[in-house]
Amino acid sequence: MLKKEEMFSDLDPILHSQLRLSIVSILMTVEETSFSFIKDTTKAAAGNVSIQINKLQEAGYITVKKTFKNNYPNTTVSLTEKGRNAFEEYVKNLQKYIHPQK
Amino acid sequence: MDEKNFTPEESLLIISMTIEETRKKIQENGHIIILWGSLIFTVILSQYILELLGLHKKFDIAWTCILFLPGAIYTFFYTWRKSRKNNIPKTILGTIVGAMGWLFGLNGFVLAAIFGDHIGNALAPVLLILLAITTIVIGLSIKFKPLIIGGIVLNLLAIGTFLVNPAYHGFSLMFGAMIGLIIPGILLNIAKKRGNV
Repeated sequence: MLKKEEMFSDLDPILHSQLRLSIVSILMTVEETSFSFIKDTTKAAAGNVSIQINKLQEAGYITVKKTFKNNYPNTTVSLTEKGRNAFEEYVKNLQKYIHPQK
Repeated sequence: MDEKNFTPEESLLIISMTIEETRKKIQENGHIIILWGSLIFTVILSQYILELLGLHKKFDIAWTCILFLPGAIYTFFYTWRKSRKNNIPKTILGTIVGAMGWLFGLNGFVLAAIFGDHIGNALAPVLLILLAITTIVIGLSIKFKPLIIGGIVLNLLAIGTFLVNPAYHGFSLMFGAMIGLIIPGILLNIAKKRGNV
């Protein structure tokens, strides 16, 4: 029988993290959104969200735009084509684990 | 839940819960739809009443502007303030819904105000067709059946209006505003409160 780590080896390690998966799920639903919307929706700490956004950006899954809105910093995040493809592949692999016969 | 060792079922649960949570936050409400349904209804009804009293000629564009212009200004500031205050993200559906509403409003205004004489008796049915297309597209975008059904009934009503004596076209518009906008708008508000949209 395969160990749990081996069993999930096909799953993208960038996406196979609770908070990063939530962030990408939000970005699959909207065109672009703000850092604060992600923080409110995931109910995670700002620092943690910031770290995970950086990791997703380094992987090329999201683009981050930093601007100013009414003299306050405003960070907007959107999914890249690479990120969208990675998410779709991740879901396909999940389905393989859940329904191996398909 | 362990950050790395969660199961595929747990992963799917995270995805579906997050998408559901995001959807709830960005869903439309029926406020603007009810507002425009009520404005169209009020404008047409008031014109009939003013005409009955001999104070006004029917379908006067100046009177229409008096009621519609504040509606357009209110709609602009309401949607702008709502997205800013609630930190609502940009979505393709939101863009489609907004664009359809404004395109109907501007084209309807241009047709009635500038080309009303050219169109003549076809004005009311043409406006109803434009409204039907807008309602159906918005209904399909937000997957809300009462708006889709309302739009289909509006489309049938528009075709039927071509066959009706032009003196009664106003009643078609009032009926259209009721079934295509006011009732679906109220149902949308109820569905939103129940979290069914």
